[in-house]
Amino acid sequence: MSICQDLGLNFQQRMGATASQLEKDIGSEQFPPNEHYFGLVNFGNTCYSNSVLQALYFCRPFREKVLEYKAKNKRTKETLLTCLADLFYSIATQKKKVGSIAPKKFIARLRKEKEEFDNYMQQDAHEFLNFLINHINEIILAERNQSTLKLQKTAGSGESVTCNGTVPQSSEPTWVHEIFQGTLTSETRCLNCETVSSKDEHFFDLQVDVDQNTSITHCLKCFSDTETLCNDNKFKCDNCSSYQEAQKRMRVKKLPLILALHLKRFKYMEQYNRHIKVSHRVVFPLELRLFNTSDDAVNPDRLYDLVAVVVHCGSGPNRGHYISIVKSHGFWLLFDDDMVDKIDASAIEDFYGLTSDIQKSSETGYILFYQSREASC
Amino acid sequence: MGSMMRKKTQVSFVIRDEEEKRHKNGVSSLQLDPVQGRLYSAGRDGIIRVWQTSGGSQDRYIQSMEHHTDWVNDIVLCCGGKNLISASSDTTVKVWNAPKGFCMSTLRTHKDYVRTLAYAKDKEQVASAGLDRAIFLWDVNTLTALTASNNTVTTSSLVGNKESIYSLAMNPPGTILVSGSTEKVLRVWDPRNCSRLMKLKGHADNVKALVVSRDGTQCVSGSSDGTIKLWSLSQQRCVSTIRVHSEAVWALLATETFSHIISGGRDRLVIITELRNPDNFMIVCEETAPILKLCFTADQQGVWVSTSDSDIRCWKLPPVNTLNSEMYNQNNYNTNNVYQTQPLHHIPGGRAIKNYTVLNDKRHIITKDTANNVVLYDVLKASKIEDLGEIDYDEEVKKHFKMVYVPNWFNVDLKTGMLTIHLGQDETDCFSAWVSAKEAGLTTENDQKVNFGALLLQALLEYWNHPNRVNEGGQKVFGNNFFSVPLHTPLIFSEVGGRTLYRLQVGDAGGETEGNILLETVPSWVVDVAVEMAAPKLNKLPFYLLPHSSCQSKQDRQKKDRLVANDFIQCRKVAEHVVEKIIGGGDVNGSSTTKTEDSNTDAPEEKVELLCCDQVLDPNMDLRTVRHFIWKSNVEFTLHYRIIKQ
Repeated sequence: MSICQDLGLNFQQRMGATASQLEKDIGSEQFPPNEHYFGLVNFGNTCYSNSVLQALYFCRPFREKVLEYKAKNKRTKETLLTCLADLFYSIATQKKKVGSIAPKKFIARLRKEKEEFDNYMQQDAHEFLNFLINHINEIILAERNQSTLKLQKTAGSGESVTCNGTVPQSSEPTWVHEIFQGTLTSETRCLNCETVSSKDEHFFDLQVDVDQNTSITHCLKCFSDTETLCNDNKFKCDNCSSYQEAQKRMRVKKLPLILALHLKRFKYMEQYNRHIKVSHRVVFPLELRLFNTSDDAVNPDRLYDLVAVVVHCGSGPNRGHYISIVKSHGFWLLFDDDMVDKIDASAIEDFYGLTSDIQKSSETGYILFYQSREASC
Repeated sequence: MGSMMRKKTQVSFVIRDEEEKRHKNGVSSLQLDPVQGRLYSAGRDGIIRVWQTSGGSQDRYIQSMEHHTDWVNDIVLCCGGKNLISASSDTTVKVWNAPKGFCMSTLRTHKDYVRTLAYAKDKEQVASAGLDRAIFLWDVNTLTALTASNNTVTTSSLVGNKESIYSLAMNPPGTILVSGSTEKVLRVWDPRNCSRLMKLKGHADNVKALVVSRDGTQCVSGSSDGTIKLWSLSQQRCVSTIRVHSEAVWALLATETFSHIISGGRDRLVIITELRNPDNFMIVCEETAPILKLCFTADQQGVWVSTSDSDIRCWKLPPVNTLNSEMYNQNNYNTNNVYQTQPLHHIPGGRAIKNYTVLNDKRHIITKDTANNVVLYDVLKASKIEDLGEIDYDEEVKKHFKMVYVPNWFNVDLKTGMLTIHLGQDETDCFSAWVSAKEAGLTTENDQKVNFGALLLQALLEYWNHPNRVNEGGQKVFGNNFFSVPLHTPLIFSEVGGRTLYRLQVGDAGGETEGNILLETVPSWVVDVAVEMAAPKLNKLPFYLLPHSSCQSKQDRQKKDRLVANDFIQCRKVAEHVVEKIIGGGDVNGSSTTKTEDSNTDAPEEKVELLCCDQVLDPNMDLRTVRHFIWKSNVEFTLHYRIIKQ
């Protein structure tokens, strides 16, 4: 069974089916209580947002924290986070089990927040995810700072102000950090004195290069391959006080609760003067363990389960379509804007990519969300 | 497209003593002239030094060979001690007259650091290799015959290396050449026809040291993987792996008969091992730093050792027949069992600068060296001001803090262990620092402004008799009117982030040959200022000037004067402007009495005070300092004025 035929079949089914078809497919016996499968209406090329939002909604730790935020923050001013919380709340509290919903307020707010998204063009789903995660995190930090400032003001009204109104930024992680943030450690060895220096940096997702007929494990291995800093890119070695060749390696030191992997499928090609999609077949397993961890990694044995995939359909970053597949209560669903279908787990293979380089257009996994098994218990 | 573009030229100079008798940094390579009893040492301070090995141990220093502008990584003494070939991180290979110590020619064929040399004595052939992956073969007799007019040389190159080369070796007849690289393999060539013979795999890391037996049938390699391997080139295989070091092996020396190997590296130990029976080994000595090079004494009874420290020591070697004796035969790393604890000879090295802080005046630098000595330098005059001894560096830096802001106009480099100052590098505008000459202590006159970068370039090129030198009253104008820099100061022109174009001493620029090379080398941005005495552009700083809220009237509030001034003018000048232009001749109460002689002589700061962020400003403080330390932003810089009630 070829990929295209299979999807064609899905489309035909959907055309004629009502929302209740999904309920039938799942079966009322099996339909999980307190779960809602709602499509998101497309406001003109907003599938990049819809697909990411669905994936995030089915990252359970994230959904729970957003709903918790909604419950705690009754009357704050509108932010992208309050819009997201309202949207998630709205889905979670629908009377119907299935249907579709229009994320109107969220999109409007998004367009206000970031100029790049204030148009009707297709956007890069990964750029959107990256923006959303960072932005939400900043909102939480800002609100936290504001409340500590208020606390300080009420508590220390008699004392003289010592800190000139600036509040020391709290280093305590936010719930966004707790869910998505991992730590990479980069070790650099100077090839002259052979001293190794290491530096830690945090990440919200890992961006990996894709090679033909490989797997995610291979991509992660390449990500952690040793890179030689040479030619005009030499390393300024503190010990040698000069620029020397060096070998650099990035490994994961702290594994996040939810590991977001971005497959770098859009490559800039000089001869075309634009980004071209790389449709290479990259297998992503349902279960994943990381092998590119550092020797001092905190939790190197984490076992991850695939919970959501943002899929890019088409031939380039500014054309095509985004859909997402998610795992919910043991079965898989495909969200295509306002349409939702149950799919067989075996159909996930269809989104690995293409083994031939002839076809430019493809439906391929673009962002993978792996959730630590500890989190799903 | 990029290769055709000429890279921007930067000007650099080194702040140092006229004669630097001691190595300031690690010593990468050693060569002994057994006939003259001279030891040549290649320094990471860019200087090759020559030492007397015989006689009293007091002053062994003979002379310095200076022309490289970066680390000298390797040297080879050839033609029976007549010539020396050197390889440097400045990407050049240089040919020297060894006894006299001058540079005869410079080979610019390599495109990256030249790391290593190999020498085939019988054929007087030298091979050079480095980070550009290329190996070039040079006929020494051709190299030494090069002159200024006949300066083309053909070279054979050995191609095929896929990664940077860190080691080379040839046998004396020049029939075998071996290279070691980060590729972890040994590549073997026949240099007679430049053909590739084989590739030997086995090491797990970079290969940093190699020796080949005289007949070319055996090779020993030392690697960053910590092992030494003996290879049979005839059988194309590794014969044995010697694990006597606990860390990377960086230096190897084989005995004449290839029976024993002396090795050194990151673990600071010099070890002698019997090649055919590696269980027989002995720790010769323990050095104070990782070992970079080993070299026999004339009688082969001892070994000269250089390290990444600046000291060079000579150690007695054990007689080879004692290696298996009970006393020293040990299969452990117990360094208490070293053969020698006191060196035969010691050539003490100097200290390398490891830390520096540019003071806020962007003129003085405080440095700390490897012995924790703190020194104060004046960049403008290219001179050392004071040796402060072993004091607390951070405290000293704090002590020199001044609330003054001057833009960056130079970059500092410590690669040679001495202070190298770069002008015109990257984004740093060499002419950004305008200061009051009086503030800089250059004159007692008021109101004269000077540009640090321009003054320094004028001083650096003071002796260059450029045809376009400005004439003033029939006299050519040389240098600046305030100071000169030391004549011995090395002056270097190079491509930004790239190769050296020319190096000379400041005092030599007056020579005809030097002058002509300078004409071709000195970039126009330097000529304009240093020769044609063009004044660099002034830095304008825009700001808003408003009456302070405590004294403004309703109509004042409408006025928001946007002014532009030189960034180095003092607040006093702004106060003067307020007195003259805004409150006019009128007194503070606004009545229109005419100016009296009295009020004219009053300093403006006694009539008006300036404020920024509600802080009253010192009239001596300049605008850029106010903006940097008080306003703390680059936008909407705003000052307020307040009339002082008398």
